[in-house]
Amino acid sequence: MDKEALKQKIMEVFQKKAGGAGKSKIYLKDLQREIPDANPRDIKNAANELVKEGKLEYFSTGSTVMYGLPGVGMGLEAGMEKPEE
Amino acid sequence: MGEVKKHETPLMDDLKSGPWPSFVDDIYNYAEKKKKQACFDIMGQMELSYKNRETHWKHGGIVGVFGYGGGVIGRYSDQQEMFPSIWAFHTVRVNQPAAKWYHSSALRKLCDMWDHRGSGIVNFHGSTGDIILLGTVTEQLEYIFYDLGHQLKMDLGGSGSNLRTPECCMGMSRCEWSCIDTQDIIYELTMAFQDELHRPAFPYKFKIKVSGCPNDCVAAIARSDFSVIGTWRDKIKIDQDAVRAYVGGELKPNAGAHSDRDWGPFDIKKEVIDLCPTKCMFWDEGQKKLYINDAECNRCMHCINVMPEALWPGDDRGAVILMGAKAPILDGAQLSTVIIPFMKLEPPYDNLKNLLYKVWDYWMEHGKNRERLGETIQRIGLNRFIVDVLGLKPLPQHVKEPRSNPYIFWKEEEVEGGWTRDVAEFRKRHPA
Ligand code: HEM
Ligand code: HEM
Ligand code: SF4
Ligand code: SF4
Repeated sequence: MDKEALKQKIMEVFQKKAGGAGKSKIYLKDLQREIPDANPRDIKNAANELVKEGKLEYFSTGSTVMYGLPGVGMGLEAGMEKPEE
Repeated sequence: MGEVKKHETPLMDDLKSGPWPSFVDDIYNYAEKKKKQACFDIMGQMELSYKNRETHWKHGGIVGVFGYGGGVIGRYSDQQEMFPSIWAFHTVRVNQPAAKWYHSSALRKLCDMWDHRGSGIVNFHGSTGDIILLGTVTEQLEYIFYDLGHQLKMDLGGSGSNLRTPECCMGMSRCEWSCIDTQDIIYELTMAFQDELHRPAFPYKFKIKVSGCPNDCVAAIARSDFSVIGTWRDKIKIDQDAVRAYVGGELKPNAGAHSDRDWGPFDIKKEVIDLCPTKCMFWDEGQKKLYINDAECNRCMHCINVMPEALWPGDDRGAVILMGAKAPILDGAQLSTVIIPFMKLEPPYDNLKNLLYKVWDYWMEHGKNRERLGETIQRIGLNRFIVDVLGLKPLPQHVKEPRSNPYIFWKEEEVEGGWTRDVAEFRKRHPA
């Protein structure tokens, strides 16, 4: 699968999951499960490129990292938005 | 600079009464000198945590710097009204130089930068090895990243599901026991694996640590998924004159490290021979000569540590590669297991890099979410990991001791006649 096609597939997975009651943040492993015919390293590279392009964003607890669509679901944890001055 | 708001912190103040210098003094001195609200607030929040016996930090988030998926860890206070200056208090991990040697001018610059852009509170070093800059706000992150990269020539370290900042002992920079150039190895790996270090690639964290000899000063065997520990294949080098000088009391055992108390005259039998874990040493009192059966020696370093002027690691040096250490989240803590008993390590260390790629390829595909390498190995079995995943031959060094990890099983193709041979026919010749 070429890189652009893979990126396209990854975005489809996110749109599918984000719509309805799905999860807004997912792990690399979840992407691998959804796209079994692609190599995990290629998926990782494609997902990281999508972040650079601004189409995905990282969500990290410090110990692990998930990926999400910008602006969908929790940005910061609920209640973490900066208080009004 | 406006007025600062101070908090009552009796529980924190109590910590100052101990015999050691206290971080409470340090933080308050700094807070007063610089009139830093964040430092007063951090003490206030900690007081509250001591009182309530629970944390008031929330963690997680999307903060980071452009292009990197690690190195910044979002932290937020859940007491925004009481402690507004630490509503965001992010941690920044900075990749330490190999073996942690700094020029004082670099440290001064780093502190000035952090004084200006962060809380001023630092931790040298975190347990992964990084310099930890504690507490800044989201708006400062890109500036911090720019200053680190362009003025200090420093980079962020790893966090999340990334390769974590590799770490090593001081190795050849100060220690004559180092069997490998630990700093060079760490530098090479860090440069080679920039992508893995800065962008999430794995099911969970992955740590590489390198120690120059089996004293393992960075505790690689306990703290890293991939532990490289210097060792040697030939014989321990012995200077019999120096051994006699230790026995005669002219040289101080352990280079005088325990001389604060009178332990009586040095007793080579009690302090060295009897403590050798493999019982492979012999002191001939008549001949005044030390013998070592090197085939049995497991390179524990004890005798060398006690008599450093008489004994040295041999000349045929390299490293043992162990894998799978982890902290006790699942199944308890675990030390790394020997995978490659001996590997020569010469720049550019392609053998080491290729081994890492092999391990990562498998773990990225088959490791479960939040499963450390050691847990993956346990799940599939050490046998399969060594033979099927890495394509290596099982060796006696893989067995901890007979029967404690007997993992070598026959495969059908290795058994004459396979699983389907005619057992009745066999039993005719060999009654059960
Ligand atoms: C060429 C001849 C032999 C070979 C290759 C052989 C090999 C083995 C092996 C591989 C084991 C298992 C060791 C372990 O699990 O740690 C074993 C165990 C044992 N063998 Fe032999 N053996 C031989 C002859 C004999 C003979 C002649 C006897 C007694 C008459 C004997 C008695 C035993 C016993 C009692 C055990 C322990 C069984 C147990 O703990 O369950 N072996 N042998
Ligand atoms: C009163 C007589 C005996 C007692 C109380 C006794 C007791 C034991 C015990 C407690 C074990 C260890 C079991 C384990 O750790 O799992 C053992 C193992 C064994 N015994 Fe005996 N035993 C006796 C007689 C014998 C005799 C007569 C023989 C052989 C002719 C024998 C052969 C063995 C063997 C081959 C093992 C296995 C060793 C191993 O797995 O390492 N025993 N016995
Ligand atoms: S691990 Fe060995 S080589 Fe490294 S500093 Fe410690 S004693 Fe020296
Ligand atoms: S290094 Fe350890 S095992 Fe080897 S001879 Fe010395 S004390 Fe014994």
